[in-house]
Amino acid sequence: MHTKTGRRLLGLSMAVLSAATMLTTATTASYAQSVDLSKWSPEYVKSIAGTKQFDAAKDCGAVVPNDYTGSVSYWYTGPFEADPEIAHTQDKAFWAAFKAAYPNITTDVQSITYNELLDKFRTSLLGNSAPAVIRLQILGGVEFAAKGYLQPLKPEDVGYTAADFWPGALKSVTYEGVSYGLPTNNETMAMIWNAKVFKDAGLDPENPPATWDDVVSYSKTIHEKLGIPGYGLVAKQNAGNTPFRFMPQMWAYGGGALDEASAEPGYKTVEINNAGSKAALQAAYQMYAVDKSVPTSALTNTQGENQAPFIAGKLGMMIAHPAEYAKMTDLASKATGSDKAVADEVVANMRYGLIPTGPDGKRAVVFGGSNIHVVKPEFVQGGKVDEQAVKALICFWDSPEWSTKLAWVGSNPGNINGFLTDAMKERLDTIKFLDVTTSMLPNGIPFPVIPQAPEIMNIIVPDMLQNALTGTMTVDQAADDAATKVQAIVDGGGGI
Amino acid sequence: MWNSRFDYLYVAPAILVMLIVIGYPIYYTIELSFFNTPASLALSAKQFNGLDNYATILTSPIFWKVTWQTVVWTVVSTFFAFVLGLGAALALHREFVGRGFLRALLLIPWVVSAVAASYVWKWLYHSDFGAISAMLSGLGLIDRPINFIDNTSTSLYALIVVNVWKEFSFAMIMLMAGLQTVPDTLLRAAQVDGASPWQRFWHVTFPHLSGVSMVTLLLLAVQNFNSFIIPWIMTGGGPAGSSDIWITHIYQLAFGRQRWGVASAYAVILFIVMMVLGYFYVRALTKGDDARAGA
Repeated sequence: MHTKTGRRLLGLSMAVLSAATMLTTATTASYAQSVDLSKWSPEYVKSIAGTKQFDAAKDCGAVVPNDYTGSVSYWYTGPFEADPEIAHTQDKAFWAAFKAAYPNITTDVQSITYNELLDKFRTSLLGNSAPAVIRLQILGGVEFAAKGYLQPLKPEDVGYTAADFWPGALKSVTYEGVSYGLPTNNETMAMIWNAKVFKDAGLDPENPPATWDDVVSYSKTIHEKLGIPGYGLVAKQNAGNTPFRFMPQMWAYGGGALDEASAEPGYKTVEINNAGSKAALQAAYQMYAVDKSVPTSALTNTQGENQAPFIAGKLGMMIAHPAEYAKMTDLASKATGSDKAVADEVVANMRYGLIPTGPDGKRAVVFGGSNIHVVKPEFVQGGKVDEQAVKALICFWDSPEWSTKLAWVGSNPGNINGFLTDAMKERLDTIKFLDVTTSMLPNGIPFPVIPQAPEIMNIIVPDMLQNALTGTMTVDQAADDAATKVQAIVDGGGGI
Repeated sequence: MWNSRFDYLYVAPAILVMLIVIGYPIYYTIELSFFNTPASLALSAKQFNGLDNYATILTSPIFWKVTWQTVVWTVVSTFFAFVLGLGAALALHREFVGRGFLRALLLIPWVVSAVAASYVWKWLYHSDFGAISAMLSGLGLIDRPINFIDNTSTSLYALIVVNVWKEFSFAMIMLMAGLQTVPDTLLRAAQVDGASPWQRFWHVTFPHLSGVSMVTLLLLAVQNFNSFIIPWIMTGGGPAGSSDIWITHIYQLAFGRQRWGVASAYAVILFIVMMVLGYFYVRALTKGDDARAGA
């Protein structure tokens, strides 16, 4: 890779001459060390936004010449009818910009819904008719990497470095030590609460519960004082919403499904029945079965079913995405009569805060987002992958500018230099609480990067919760039962 | 001779299509049932494991729990759908003002999409904001919402109520058609002989309905064994597996857990049960033909 070496030499020389000059004259797509993750906070995120200009066409032109002639096929979940107009606008703008930057690269693009993409991709792989490039949800790629469908792909292949991405995000594309993709966007959830409900229950309306133990006591207080559920627990089986809300609690208490919360996870040690995991399960049991301070319907609810009671002022707090504020605003705009007044009041009293910590001060959240992958030629329609065209597309998609714009509504740039862009500044100015949700990113932990992860997270964890919450098993029994199941499937077996 | 050859030719396209869209999937499912398909391997690298998948299923206490729930679901749903359908058919067989309207009204559950009905019932049952609990609370009959579907003791029966509501109209239609075949002369003769309404039903009407009743019961049983939409949408088989039935369990094994081999073995077991039911269904259907042929 002569181009890459040239870029590094150029970057080094420029750094020696002047750091300031380097910032303005960089001609490569690599911007390592531009963002200091150790300073990450809502204030820091605001302070760096809009401080640097990028030119994706020029920077990616250094990786793949702009006059390159070729073709690339691509599947992803693009904006659909229900998405806000800005998402459609940015999507269209991206393809126009890519066409302008690479006029001789033809694209065959399919936007497929979130729920259909994995199954359609699996089917296409069996028929050797897959696209050359695909963007999948953060946990989606590992299954295909393990099964040998994906090509190795690391940041340097498309002109970036590992420092341009969140370490947790890079972990999510690494299977057995090999990188099989690049993060395109990343997000974490936050604790959302209704300040009026807190105030009416005699709690501090401007601060969320600091610890998970506080969540239990706040929830109880709200339920006892106001007769409404305090915390929007979600414990439905076979639903991604459940582990996205329960795993942060488990990690904060020092537990985990495997050792995914450790600095160097090996995904071999089962921790779902350790003391921390059991403490988290006990806290959920306390809220559901003892205090009855969470919705009884938590066992059949997804997060979607928490939205109605929240906008009606009948739910104290919940864990949700950055886009939840926009959703609540939308719901309030559609409300009528007396409901409208209540909904508007809820929106005005909506607050975002950091996810609570465990007893030892540990704060954790699921690292969410999407990754982009390249399929091996033998599984692609036509049996060929145009590597240069693929690199051009991935470089462009993952550029600071476009990874920010394409994640406008519900996520954040996978390329962390996107936080320096004008687009990020505009997002922070227009999307309420974005600074809070982005500040949770350093606490993000990806689910175990093993092909069995979907079964562990979507089946075994919810099963464990339901077994404990319904009293079918004790907390200890439920955790031990889950541990047996996790161990069995990690070992390659497992019952039914 | 030539005519019958042409007959085969005429049905050949249909048979070919059936072989492709039904025969091959059945063959592939049976083949997969003898393989281990771990999440870390592509399907093309599946590992032959003989009858292990069948052994795993048949020795699992979860399978027997789900089997019992499937039997309860099928038998109770079929019985009550049939009894309610029979009652409605008998009631609507008489002439009265508004009969057509009532018949149309009772057909609504059968016509409504199962997906839409499931979501509506989910909200009717909702354990915190359900309409049923709200109504009972408004009448002062309860002081806290009833937990229908978030309770391991009641979830299956709550789903059965929805299922019976959804399919009793089907039994009603079938039995109404059957009632048309009961000779009026026999009923009038029984009346003249002083038979009570119950005696007329039991000794005249019901024997004439036995054929259609058998077909209806078998169709309902097959339909209930294969039920998926209502339990999947309303509870997903939960809580804690308390409303899991064979189909939801197979679906979860295949698509939730990517365990194609075990799910295929499970599907083969269900297929065998369905074939047995299908045999009796065909026998019930052809009974009349055989009798006529014999005569």
